[in-house]
Amino acid sequence: MDGSSLKSAQLLEQMRLHLATGAGKELTKKVGLVYQLNIAPKKLGVDEEIFVVDLKKGEVTKGPYQGKPDATFSFTDNDFLGIATGKTNPQIAFIRGAIKIKGSISAAQKFTPDIFPKPAKL
Amino acid sequence: MAMRHLITGQNNCAPDGASSSNPLNALANAVLGQSSKAQSIKELPGSVSVPSTSDFGAAGPLSTIPGSENEFKQDQRPLARGADFIRGGPANDWIESFRPPGVPEFGGPEERFAEFDQIYNNTGTTFGPPLDGPPQRVLSGVLHSFLASGRAGVPFQPVPVPALGLSESDKQCIRDRSCIMARHILADQPEEYIQAQVNTLLHSLDIDNRMRGPMHGRYPELEEYWNQSQSSTGPAMMRNAADKWITEFGKQNNNPENWANSFEQQYGPNGWASEFEQHQSQMAMGQMGGANMANLAAMEQSRMLAQTLASNNDPKFQNSKFFQFVSKMSRGELIIEDNQVKQGSASQSSGWADEFQTQYNANANSWADQFAHEELSQGADKWVSEFSSEHNQGALNDNWVDEFSKLNVTDEWAEEFSGGGFGESSADPWVDEFQEQLSSSKQNSGASRGVYVFSEMNPYVGHPNPMQEGQELFRKGLLSEAVLALEAEVLKNPDNSEGWRLLGVTHAENDDDQQAIAAMMRAQEANPTNLEVLLALGVSHTNELEQGEALRYLYRWLQNHPKYGGLALPQSTDSPYGPDVIRLFNDAAQMSPEDADVHIVLGVLYNLSREYDKAIASFKTALQLKPQDYSLWNKLGATQANSIQSADAILAYQQALDLKPNYVRAWANMGISYANQGLYEDSIRYYVRAVSMNPKADNAWQYLRISLGNASRADMIAACDARNLDALQKEFPL
Repeated sequence: MDGSSLKSAQLLEQMRLHLATGAGKELTKKVGLVYQLNIAPKKLGVDEEIFVVDLKKGEVTKGPYQGKPDATFSFTDNDFLGIATGKTNPQIAFIRGAIKIKGSISAAQKFTPDIFPKPAKL
Repeated sequence: MAMRHLITGQNNCAPDGASSSNPLNALANAVLGQSSKAQSIKELPGSVSVPSTSDFGAAGPLSTIPGSENEFKQDQRPLARGADFIRGGPANDWIESFRPPGVPEFGGPEERFAEFDQIYNNTGTTFGPPLDGPPQRVLSGVLHSFLASGRAGVPFQPVPVPALGLSESDKQCIRDRSCIMARHILADQPEEYIQAQVNTLLHSLDIDNRMRGPMHGRYPELEEYWNQSQSSTGPAMMRNAADKWITEFGKQNNNPENWANSFEQQYGPNGWASEFEQHQSQMAMGQMGGANMANLAAMEQSRMLAQTLASNNDPKFQNSKFFQFVSKMSRGELIIEDNQVKQGSASQSSGWADEFQTQYNANANSWADQFAHEELSQGADKWVSEFSSEHNQGALNDNWVDEFSKLNVTDEWAEEFSGGGFGESSADPWVDEFQEQLSSSKQNSGASRGVYVFSEMNPYVGHPNPMQEGQELFRKGLLSEAVLALEAEVLKNPDNSEGWRLLGVTHAENDDDQQAIAAMMRAQEANPTNLEVLLALGVSHTNELEQGEALRYLYRWLQNHPKYGGLALPQSTDSPYGPDVIRLFNDAAQMSPEDADVHIVLGVLYNLSREYDKAIASFKTALQLKPQDYSLWNKLGATQANSIQSADAILAYQQALDLKPNYVRAWANMGISYANQGLYEDSIRYYVRAVSMNPKADNAWQYLRISLGNASRADMIAACDARNLDALQKEFPL
């Protein structure tokens, strides 16, 4: 996550730490899927940075997944944040064309705001 | 007429086709009048000798002129004449109904049904509940019994009906429609029987009981034209073999008395089909309700799109694959899954007729339903197959994808949708949610661009001293009230930097960073070097995860500081490098280790660089210097929470709340800490506390919703969506 100027990188860093906690381990047990996130700073598909949220092993890494992720999402920085914080309904975002999804639709449907930790405010 | 055209030079005389420049044109118009006037001339008694649709008769010789465009002219003439009539009078509706069957017309048929319904229910909406006014009920009853007797094959018994006070146009409508309906229902009966039935009905309703063509008498010119065109232009029209519908139309309409009949044959089913289409999509929505929101939404949206597109009359466009694709989407025949287009269940034509019937059996509360049901059981097999084959043909190939992407519409139409209004046809709460979502996201985007959004109702506007009132309320911890008073102040004195600053601080404590940023930007406009404002902007942008902005303001804090300003790099930079800024602040901290503010800025900077341990150390140092600063306790807690030391964070938040019990941000942060530890039940209580102190704290509402879901308290999600504080506080006391 270091060196990324994406807002999402901050949240994913928190996610990485979160997965080491008790609540995070619960999550890996409950979901058990691997998501690849292609996050674009402004325009969908342009200058994407790729992260993997591995809820099988409980880790967050930068770079494409080695293997086949259960679902791959493409969205912009803001849209990902909106989804992770519950501001945006992922299904609506999908309809609006703000998300592109590859892979299993049932895996994609488990990609909901509650798997992400919430950032506290200073 | 030929003379006139010769003079005006249409198609033939004028060079470059610039007929309007022909001076004879004006003369001809003055003498002969425009075509509509020519029409009336033709109807003068003396003009009988003119061959009844003179245009074609006279145009014949002209076509022998070499190089003339008369072939084209001949083909176009009847249509042009028709167009004159469209413009010419109130026959719009009628003419509209002769639209070729291949061109879907969404508005028209519906309107006709609506019209009928209106007579019946006196309501504007097609399926609205019937009004209770006695005349409407009586009328409705009469029409129902008429239809019932028709279905049962029993002659309609006239019933005594009180005076209904129907207007002439209502009567006209009832007369026309009942003719059409009767022919539907009694299709297997002889014409005399049908007429007798309708006459009985009309008689009992005290309506002039002559069954006739719809325009008879009222539009003599039209009828005149009709007769003429039918009798003599028929063969001419036949030449226009490509336009099959015209031929068909011509054949079927030789006898104007049969107009209603032919209308029904040709357009009744279509009108009905389009209505069916709508119903089908609604039905499909109902059926799939639980299954897949995405598909429903796609259908709803594509339905809207299809309607928009349908209003474009360009035949090329109407026949385009893109339009067909959208139509199919709107009917649920195609769904999108995994970004792939698939055939939806709704297109299985064997099943849908049954589905449709059950659908109509299910809610037989309106007459239109009965009619549709009737229509189906009368064995309209022919059109059913026609309809389904028409819509299933042209199996979708990949071409549309190219076409679609060529148009590059994806972004545009999404935007168009967000502009358009939905939901009028769907009771789905989800659509409402979508709308809300859109409007709220619009608001948010406004705020994030730094536009301050004022409250709509503000009792403090007109207050003699709103600034003092605002400060007082802020001290008392009544943050939401303070916001209103301070808004009144900055409305009165837009350049009051301190007013904007305190407003920003209040919003930050009220857990609304976007409004805080907007207010602080105004404060900074009025006073660009205020250190508190610069720090507050740095903190709020950090909370919004906007690193670049945050860094810029914090660096400006250093530049503008009387003591540390000299430390700033000589060259001015608009995008300072994080590690540089941290180094400079560490220098400042060495210069004056007793300055709590430097440690606070350092703590924020380390948050930005995600060096949480160093951030925690900085805040702790600052707290030793300023132990009564509640916002500092909250900053420490938030940093601990973000570095997953949630248990410690809760202790820090508690300190903050002991110092300032109405600190909404700390209550919300408490909730977050519990939620991140998986203690959702506890988190709910803190979120509820936060939103009850600031009902505009959107973040807290969103988190509350998530926690309710995780705590298996879906029963309270409705209360959360409705922002029902009473119910939530009762259920989750702290």
